[in-house]
Amino acid sequence: MSDNRIDGYARAMFEVARAEGTLDEVEDELFRFARSFESNDDLRNALTDEQIPVERRQGIVEDLLGPNATPTTVQLVSMVVGTGRGRDLPAIVDSLVQRASSAKDLEVAEVRSAVALTDDQQDRLKAALANATGKQLNLKVIVDPSVLGGLVATVGDTVIDGSVRTRIDQLKSRL
Amino acid sequence: MSAAMMIASSIAAEDPSQSHHWLWPEGYEILYGGLASLIVFALLYWKAWPLVKRGLANRTERVQKELDDASTARTENEAESARIRQALGDIDAERQRLFAEADTQAEALLADGRRRLDAEVADLEAKAQADIAAAGDRSNDELRHEIVQLAGAAADRVAVESLDDATQQELIESFISRVGAGARP
Repeated sequence: MSDNRIDGYARAMFEVARAEGTLDEVEDELFRFARSFESNDDLRNALTDEQIPVERRQGIVEDLLGPNATPTTVQLVSMVVGTGRGRDLPAIVDSLVQRASSAKDLEVAEVRSAVALTDDQQDRLKAALANATGKQLNLKVIVDPSVLGGLVATVGDTVIDGSVRTRIDQLKSRL
Repeated sequence: MSAAMMIASSIAAEDPSQSHHWLWPEGYEILYGGLASLIVFALLYWKAWPLVKRGLANRTERVQKELDDASTARTENEAESARIRQALGDIDAERQRLFAEADTQAEALLADGRRRLDAEVADLEAKAQADIAAAGDRSNDELRHEIVQLAGAAADRVAVESLDDATQQELIESFISRVGAGARP
C-alpha cells in the first residue's frame, strides 16, 4: 500500500479515536496489537488470508481484542482487516502513533523488553530517556522475548541497546 | 738299299702275283706307297697344316681371349667385390650412425620425459599440498563455524537459564540508571 493510503487510514483512525476521547488508550492498544501482529505468524496469516471470509477474520479480531480493548480499538482493527488492509496494519498503527505523538509534541520512544515493565519502571525509563535525548517522549513498551534480557530503546534514529541478545550477538561475532 | 728292301724285293721276285710275305707288301708297292704317302703328307703339310696351324692359332687366340676375358671379369668382379665390401662397410657405418643417432634421440626423449614427469609430479604435489591446505582451512573454518554455533547456542541457553526474574529486573534497573545518567549501557 502506498504511504498516502497508509497515512489516510492512520489519519482517519486518529480522528475517530480523538473524537471518541479515547486516543491514548486506543493508541496504546493498537500499538500493542500491531506488535503482536508482527511477531505472531499464525495471527498474521489468519488476518491476511484472502481465502478466509472477511466476517471470519473480523470475528477473530473481536475474539482477541474484545475482552481486553476498548470498543473503538476493536472496531478500528476490524475495519482495517475488513477492507483487506490487514497486511498494512503495523504501518498504519505506527503512522497513527506518530501522528498522535506529534499532536502532543511528543517523540515516540519504542522500548523492547524481555519482560513486562512496571508502571514505575516505565515512568523512570521515560524520564531517563527524556533526559538522555532532550525530548518529551511517548513511551511504547513492547514485550519481546527475543531480547532475552535488558532493554532496547529506539527514539527516532537513535537506538540505545542494552539487551542480552545484542551482547550475545557481539560475542558470537568476536568468536 | 736297305736290308728290308732287299728282302722284300727277293720275296716279290719269286712270285710277282703273290706277295712274298704275309705282312710286307712288294717292293714297288712300298716305293709307290711311300711316294704317295710323301705326296699326301706334302699336300697335307702344304694345304692342311696352315689350316691346322691357323685353327690352333685361333684356338690359342680364343683361349687367350677367354683367359683375358676371365681376367677382366675377375678384375671387375674383384672391383665389384671391393665396392660391395665398401658399400657393406658404408652400410655398417650408416647403421652405426643410425644406432648412435637413435640412442641419442632415445636418451633425449628419456631425459625430456623424465623432466616432464618430474615437473608433473611437482605440479601434482603442489596441487595436492594446496588441496590439503585448502581442505585443512575448510575444515578449520567449518570447525570454527561449528564451535561458534555451539558456543552461541550454549550462550543462549546459559543466558536464558541464568536470566531469572531478579536478573531481569537488575538488567532493567541498570539500563534505566545508565540512560538516566547520560551514559549508554
